[in-house]
Amino acid sequence: MSAATLVELRGVRKSYFSNRVETPVLHGIDLVMKRGEFVAIMGQSGSGKSTLMNVLGCLDTPTAGSYRLADADVGTLSRAALAGLRNRTIGFVFQSFNLLKRMSILDNVALPLIYAGVSRSEARARAQRQLQRVGLGELAKRQPNQLSGGQQQRAAIARALVADPPLILADEPTGNLDTRTSAEIMAVFTELNRDRGQSIILVTHEPDIAAFAHRLVRLKDGLVLFDGAASEGLRELAREDSAVAAVVAQGAAR
Amino acid sequence: MRFTQLLTESLGAMLANPLRTLLTMLGIIIGIASVVLMLAVGDGIKAFINKQLAVLGSNLVLVQADVRKSAGVRLRTGSVQTMTMDDAEAINRLPSVAGAAPMLTVFSQISVGNDNANTQVQGTTPASFRIRNLRLARGSPITDVDVASAARVAVLGKKIAEQLFYKVDPVGQSIRIDNQSFQVTGVLDNEGQSFDAGDIGEVVIVPISTARITLVRTATPRSVQYIVAQSRSAATLNDMVADIKELVRDRHRIRADDEDDFRVVNFGEFAKSGEAIATGLSVALGFIGAVSLVVGGIGIMNIMLVSVTERTREIGIRMAIGARPSDVLWQFLIEAVAICVVSGLIGIALSAGLAAAVSASGKFELVVGVKAILIATLFSGAVGVFFGFYPARRASKLQPVECLRYE
Repeated sequence: MSAATLVELRGVRKSYFSNRVETPVLHGIDLVMKRGEFVAIMGQSGSGKSTLMNVLGCLDTPTAGSYRLADADVGTLSRAALAGLRNRTIGFVFQSFNLLKRMSILDNVALPLIYAGVSRSEARARAQRQLQRVGLGELAKRQPNQLSGGQQQRAAIARALVADPPLILADEPTGNLDTRTSAEIMAVFTELNRDRGQSIILVTHEPDIAAFAHRLVRLKDGLVLFDGAASEGLRELAREDSAVAAVVAQGAAR
Repeated sequence: MRFTQLLTESLGAMLANPLRTLLTMLGIIIGIASVVLMLAVGDGIKAFINKQLAVLGSNLVLVQADVRKSAGVRLRTGSVQTMTMDDAEAINRLPSVAGAAPMLTVFSQISVGNDNANTQVQGTTPASFRIRNLRLARGSPITDVDVASAARVAVLGKKIAEQLFYKVDPVGQSIRIDNQSFQVTGVLDNEGQSFDAGDIGEVVIVPISTARITLVRTATPRSVQYIVAQSRSAATLNDMVADIKELVRDRHRIRADDEDDFRVVNFGEFAKSGEAIATGLSVALGFIGAVSLVVGGIGIMNIMLVSVTERTREIGIRMAIGARPSDVLWQFLIEAVAICVVSGLIGIALSAGLAAAVSASGKFELVVGVKAILIATLFSGAVGVFFGFYPARRASKLQPVECLRYE
């Protein structure tokens, strides 16, 4: 694994067990991602997209195969070590924002640093700078429910970035937002990737959102169906599905 | 994660649902208040007993003739007068005795001008002032000369002096006891219950010789009703009792297999029974407190389990952004402990308020001590750890993926 490699999945399988009945979800995924890449993962529901996302996010461990993230062998780590790895290496952005209700935006953004052992005052100062960067500097003292969906998602992005993790993992980040706000949020990701070389994995089922990424990974029935340039992947998708064709045409025009 | 951060977050969680938190806290509040009051009542009763003993004089015993059969009929205690002035002198000479005083008592009519009262007159010797802790507010006590000359002098208790003389200084004034004239030489300062005469403030003390001539008819010219004796220290009290028994049996020529014709009343025993009552009360309150703490603790465990379930998603989010299982465990444990300690503090305040109210009534002194506060605080914290651990551990064992999926 070279220094430029951030994510390396080799033959990753994941099965769920209920009443001793094995339900395989991922059937052997190989995926290598370099630092600075912007990857979209697409797939229909049941394709294993969410499971792959959980494995990539170190929220769940593979049943078989190996996963290396930023030089750590994820499969061998304890729960506490996984927590530390998530804290240092991954910034999560969720569909439903997942900000903690009782805290101010500032304290929400500061929380990953608090878990990293940074002092309260320093954590707050860094959180404030991060909020300014996403345009929420004035709203730091507000509670999450006093903010619009778009503002909440910006706050969540600030929280994901505050500890300077090498990887941002965004799971349907625009799923709860209207088209215009979605475009604003995607602009933030695009800018992060372009200007700061931020590695981003974006899980989505919307082709127009996937179109913001450079590389597309399509999953089907727990296997990688396509892995390549986003434009090519979306064209292929368009051939299968006429509804996507319009989106691709629009993207080409842009 | 730092402690102050954990504490701030727990207080936030407690305030998020104030009514529920308060109801959860009630059991612990009542439990801790009971425990604190238990300690205060125990200390209060002991202090009360010690105060009473100080009024009585400490390390005292009373030697009196015992019920004896006279021609097969049991008589009232004291109705036979086998104790004598000579017994008193002999007891006084025992090495283990600090002092002994013979006593003759009678209820008499006391009059001053048109005013009169019926109260107890005690005939005794000067020694009784010292061993019974009697202090004079004014004037002087009776003297050995008064006893030797059967002088018609009297020392008045504080209340009886006020009642008969109001604001006039009684010292040097004349009073009539059973229509015989006595001169007042002093007024006692003591208040409270005495062991042998009810309220010490209502007693009139005269020389024992004078009492015998003017007020009390005795079986023989040397008889006394009882003898008060004081040991040199609390530790030697029992030795003194044994010495007195041996001495009096010998003086009364009682054969080895015969019963005593006297008995020794030990006031230390009264103090012990008082302390036994205090201990009983403490145990009862302590039991209520313990039951309340266990019930309260179960309430806390229940609410913490509900809280963990309600906050499953929050736990998932925290784990996703880097909370280790131990961070989650500490968060919920500190929260349970914080609830208990805050309840404990409220319980202490409540019991301090009750103790102040009881003390203000003037009947009984209840003090919530530093020791009680420390014990209560530590105890409430321990309840929090004990009943909070299981829910906290359960929270820490949750899987992040499942938590994030939880709605």
